Amino acid sequence: MSGEARRFILGRALSIARKEVRHLSRDRVTLAMALGVPVGLVILFGYVLDYDVKRVGLLVIDRDQTRVSRSLVDVFAAADYFSPLALPPGATPLGRLEEGRAKAVLFIEPGFARATAKAQPARAQIVIDGSDNQTTSVIASYLSGLQNAASRSLVPDTGPPQARLRTRFLFNPELNSRWFVVTGLFVVVLGMVSVLLTALTVAREWETGSMERLLSTPVRPLEIIIGKLAPYMALCLGAVGLTYGAARLWFGIPFNGSHGTFLLACVLFLTCTLAQGLLISVVTRQQQLAMQFSNLTGLLPATLLSGFVFPIESMPVFFRYLTVLLPARWFVVACRGIFLKGAGIADLALPLGALAVLGVGLVALAVKKFKTDVEP
Amino acid sequence: MNAVEVSELTVRFDSFTAVDRITFAVGVGEIFGFLGANGAGKTTTIRVLTGLLSPTEGRVRVAGRSFADGARTIKSRVGYMSQRFTLYDDLTVSENLAFTSGLRKIPPAVSAERIQRLLRFVGFNHSPSALVRDLPGGLKQDVSLVAALLHDPDIVFLDEPTAGVSPAARSKFWALIRGLAREGKTIFVTTHHMDEAEECGRIALMRAGRIIALDSPAELKAQSFPDPLLEIEWTAGAPAGWRESLLERGAASVVPYGLHHHVMVNNRAAWDRFVGEHTGRLTVRTIAPSLEDVFIRLVEGADR
Repeated sequence: MSGEARRFILGRALSIARKEVRHLSRDRVTLAMALGVPVGLVILFGYVLDYDVKRVGLLVIDRDQTRVSRSLVDVFAAADYFSPLALPPGATPLGRLEEGRAKAVLFIEPGFARATAKAQPARAQIVIDGSDNQTTSVIASYLSGLQNAASRSLVPDTGPPQARLRTRFLFNPELNSRWFVVTGLFVVVLGMVSVLLTALTVAREWETGSMERLLSTPVRPLEIIIGKLAPYMALCLGAVGLTYGAARLWFGIPFNGSHGTFLLACVLFLTCTLAQGLLISVVTRQQQLAMQFSNLTGLLPATLLSGFVFPIESMPVFFRYLTVLLPARWFVVACRGIFLKGAGIADLALPLGALAVLGVGLVALAVKKFKTDVEP
Repeated sequence: MNAVEVSELTVRFDSFTAVDRITFAVGVGEIFGFLGANGAGKTTTIRVLTGLLSPTEGRVRVAGRSFADGARTIKSRVGYMSQRFTLYDDLTVSENLAFTSGLRKIPPAVSAERIQRLLRFVGFNHSPSALVRDLPGGLKQDVSLVAALLHDPDIVFLDEPTAGVSPAARSKFWALIRGLAREGKTIFVTTHHMDEAEECGRIALMRAGRIIALDSPAELKAQSFPDPLLEIEWTAGAPAGWRESLLERGAASVVPYGLHHHVMVNNRAAWDRFVGEHTGRLTVRTIAPSLEDVFIRLVEGADR
């Protein structure tokens, strides 16, 4: 490439970018989709995807009926995680579980108070409905916490505890799942919309025939890719701004990091997803097909394999390594780090570096796969 | 030097041969017509000549450049108007043209002057700030032509430029093509319309990927019809089996044309006897063969 040609490469990209902006400015539907859908989805999913399990129906069967046994029940009720229920006459505990009226049953055996007084092991049994895996594991984790609380309140005068295990959750002290969900939602929502936006642009030009005129000029694939990427980047950053506002104002998600780092992470991630969309568009050359491909490769991996829903650590080895190739996986890490931990660029060197490498790789692949041959 | 030189050009898509070893040359300043049915290989040939498609085999030189110099060097020297509608519907006329100037690297001042001059040349009388989708079909073609001419190319490729426009717009468009040729530009045009083919200096007839004839319209007619062409009409109903008996008795071809038939005679005595047998029921006129006659004859010849 001559020096002159290198200087001019931006000129053509700019012409294409300007044209795309004109398309967008007249295409209200796409604009509304690009800006509105991320905000709408974050708000919607922010409510729906709530992993917090509260006020679990706890059927209490107190066969002891003493002050001590009642104070055990109080421990459960005070935590706000359980709401105690009484067994109505004629009903069986198992029946209540089967009907779903209760999620767990607390049996307190007769002689519970006597045993505590003699400092013997006092027994109470908890039966949990195991059919809902998600709820069960949360209840089980609450119980281990309550066990400590219970033994302390029931046996107050056993002297200073020799060793007590205390768990404190950093960065999200209340283990508020919404904080966790909304920061992860950035990834899913932005990824989905951005891939789709660019997946349609090149395919549309092939379908309408305008690509033929575009390619009849000495334009280079790199110029087309850059010219198409830039305006959609700006649009998606607008969507980031709105989504950020919704997360902060609507859900009160804390933001502990630097906005510059967050912007950098967004730009890198969007470079990946927009280039992924362009790659799909360049290869399929058909809008219908491009849309299916972008939903398949944009949405599914971002939701299932990014670590947003299922922890990467618990995936089979193959998938754990596969996620390395997913921009979404790195963006989830970066987002949560920046929002909740206030992580800086140095802390996020790995995810940001990975995003940069993937972004450059995807852009290069889209350019390489851009066939300028017009076939029938 | 010729504007276009093609030698043994072949284009294959997988197992399908779209263009099959064609060889021809187009001189500078010529209006060169490409004639043929859909799927004959006209568009594929044009796409190769405009740098949009790499040849599978053969050599191509356009404006002195070949594919070895890079398709982009060809693209920068030729203008191309696709048979598909390729302007952006949701952009205005001037936005579409500004976009093309940008891709062609035409300096803004030059571009503004040229757009004005070319819009005047094609007789564009709408507002340049009108959206393309609001323009009638003929005007869209005019704007497409302006876009193809913006970089002042020496060779202009027009792929069925008048498909789907009104007859009035068609004849106006051909006046533009003649105007461009007078300026010294080489015009390479494909068409379905025989009357348009008559306007070309030379025409190449394509069929199934091959060029089956190439010459000026007058020369093609003289070669295809060495014997006079007659137009006959049965004024009182045609007798059964007349075509077969006529072909047996010395007619080279009998082709229906609406209510008439075009007959080419190669045995004058037998023909005179045939006319004698049907006196009063048959009117006969000697006509000049049209390109359509040539086309049908050549295609029949190629099929035989």
